[in-house]
Amino acid sequence: MNYLDVLSTKPDMLSPGISTCGGCAMEIALRRVLQIAGPNTVFSIPPGCAAGAGTMGWNFTNGVRIPVHISLLPNMGSMMTGVSQMYQRRGREEVNIIAFAGDGASADCGFQALSGAAERGERMLYICYDNEGYMNTGFQRSSTTTMGSLTSTTPAGSVTHGKAQAQKQLAFIMAMHRVEYVATLSPAYMKDFVDKVEKGLAASKRGFAFLHVYTPCPTGWHFAQDMAIQVARAGVKANITPLFEVEGGVWRQTVKNSRPIPVAEYAKLMKKYEGIDEETLARWQKSVDADADTLARLTK
Amino acid sequence: MKALAITGNISAALGCSLARPDLIAAYPITPQSSVVEHLALLIAEGKLDSRIVHVESEHSAMSVLSGASLAGGRTFTATSSQGLALMYEPYFRVSTLRLPVIMPIACREMTSPSSIWCGQQDAMSVREAGWIQVYVENNQEILDMVIQGYKLAEDPDILLPMNICYDGFYLSHLVERVELPEQSQVDSFLPPFKQYDAKLDPDDPMAVDPLTEGSILMQYRMSHLAAMKRALTRVEEIDREYAQVFGRSYGGLVEGYRMEDAEIALVTIGSMTGTAREAIDQARSNGVRAGLVKVRFMRPFPAEALRNILAGVKAWAVVDRSVSFGWNCGPLFVETEAAICGSDLARNSSYFSAIGGLGGTDITLDLLLGLLKKVTGNKRQNGKMETVWLDENFLGRVE
Repeated sequence: MNYLDVLSTKPDMLSPGISTCGGCAMEIALRRVLQIAGPNTVFSIPPGCAAGAGTMGWNFTNGVRIPVHISLLPNMGSMMTGVSQMYQRRGREEVNIIAFAGDGASADCGFQALSGAAERGERMLYICYDNEGYMNTGFQRSSTTTMGSLTSTTPAGSVTHGKAQAQKQLAFIMAMHRVEYVATLSPAYMKDFVDKVEKGLAASKRGFAFLHVYTPCPTGWHFAQDMAIQVARAGVKANITPLFEVEGGVWRQTVKNSRPIPVAEYAKLMKKYEGIDEETLARWQKSVDADADTLARLTK
Repeated sequence: MKALAITGNISAALGCSLARPDLIAAYPITPQSSVVEHLALLIAEGKLDSRIVHVESEHSAMSVLSGASLAGGRTFTATSSQGLALMYEPYFRVSTLRLPVIMPIACREMTSPSSIWCGQQDAMSVREAGWIQVYVENNQEILDMVIQGYKLAEDPDILLPMNICYDGFYLSHLVERVELPEQSQVDSFLPPFKQYDAKLDPDDPMAVDPLTEGSILMQYRMSHLAAMKRALTRVEEIDREYAQVFGRSYGGLVEGYRMEDAEIALVTIGSMTGTAREAIDQARSNGVRAGLVKVRFMRPFPAEALRNILAGVKAWAVVDRSVSFGWNCGPLFVETEAAICGSDLARNSSYFSAIGGLGGTDITLDLLLGLLKKVTGNKRQNGKMETVWLDENFLGRVE
């Protein structure tokens, strides 16, 4: 089915009234993932924006039409392992097992459980929505926060200014677990997005599938509410969030980027990098170029 | 019926196997490791039909069980000490989600200082996390309580997870005679796990654990405490049902030994009880009217049963294998004292806390005989006395 048909015909599984910030890219990702997966799904979200926005619900009401559980922050990979194993034991392999966790719950606090589930080849679709920090608790730094970013724990000061380190490349690391499927996704490239969610769901019936979705955050990154898609596209153009997939050990860049824009141009779109100095910009560009070079070699 | 010579860990594994679990997940830690090693072997040899997940930590072990239990499975893990500490976050979650997970704890000291040996500090320290906790005396009781544990935990009026706590090395690695029940007997005693609520199933979709306001959360806590209270009765009933099928009874919440006309008593918990029985016998043969109270359940705490069985005793001591850091005594003593508060027993007897057996040290027959001597000397006094340490200088101090 054409991706537009998928998105226009399959029912929305998420309440129209959840309380994300205006212009949130995570909401786009969440809504599309659940729409593609459909009702025969068990779904879990750890504490974070996706859970806090009302998806999990309040008292006796909730925001999705499918069974949902809020895992602990560090245990998404292992908690869903238990669910997945039981569905296999009961012969209900057709049920989608989907984890939807932020970068903190995936790359930091929950990395051990994620890595363990991936290494064991547990059958699930694990989606990391990456807004590059702890946005739900007030925009603190995480290991996927990019270099130079201003966050509430890496603020602008006279001694230090923004995050000093480059971001952790989670999708690269997950690919080295030799899982069934790994891909990076952007809400700015919806055909690519839908293809990868469908592939990920199919792969999750054979083993572990990991999707890394870049979800720019207007509130935390300080850009206008109508700009999330523009920022997401610029991230891909600047090679900060390249779109690729790894299947059966074969790496493939799914959206080519032959003439990348400088990271400085991307940085201008938001106040997250306000006051970034030339030296940091140069270091950041160098690190992005090095990762792009690694990816080019892997996808050759 | 078959009798085997096995360690406490193998006994726990065989009890689990007889209960036909759907899923086992565990991480190695001394002195628990051979529980899951043996279960892995049973699965590898086709003798047990269960899934086993070799997780990367205890935090994940308990997390896997929470997911599997929410998906309707009967689950099992085992741990000790630092592993229990690491899993504290999902440990608490499992009880408050009312998931009937069974987890033996091969009890071990908490670090620091570094120690791998016996002590009940690990299990005692998590007694406020909402689990049922039974402390057992020997390897037969381990197996029997794993089987009884599922019956109790999965009871629709209870729905609480349960620890079977046994002393590390003293039981985990000690070989004893254990009678192995027939599978058919266990099958008739223990029906398959039936899920009631808190489930993850697309055929019956629900949100498990939405953000919950305080007035509803209070209802959850009241319901949890009410289930604990019902467990006080169910423990006794299940003990009797078990005796009818398998011929073994442990007395339910507490067991009295030679307590009928006792003037002095020791209150014990765990494997030290075996030695204490011998000490009581020797004291009795010397004309001392001594008795023993073995506390089996720490959660729910058998306050009424303890008040009843100790009524009329003139002097007694509670022996703990762990400490309560704020009270200068052991945790079983703290709770026993709370249980007798305001009773005639509190007014008309003398009592104290004895702490021993930490870090794998032995609670020897001599130590317990010395302790009985000290308790006997308090017969004409009333009220709480100084805490006593059963260390290497204790016997010298008693003389």
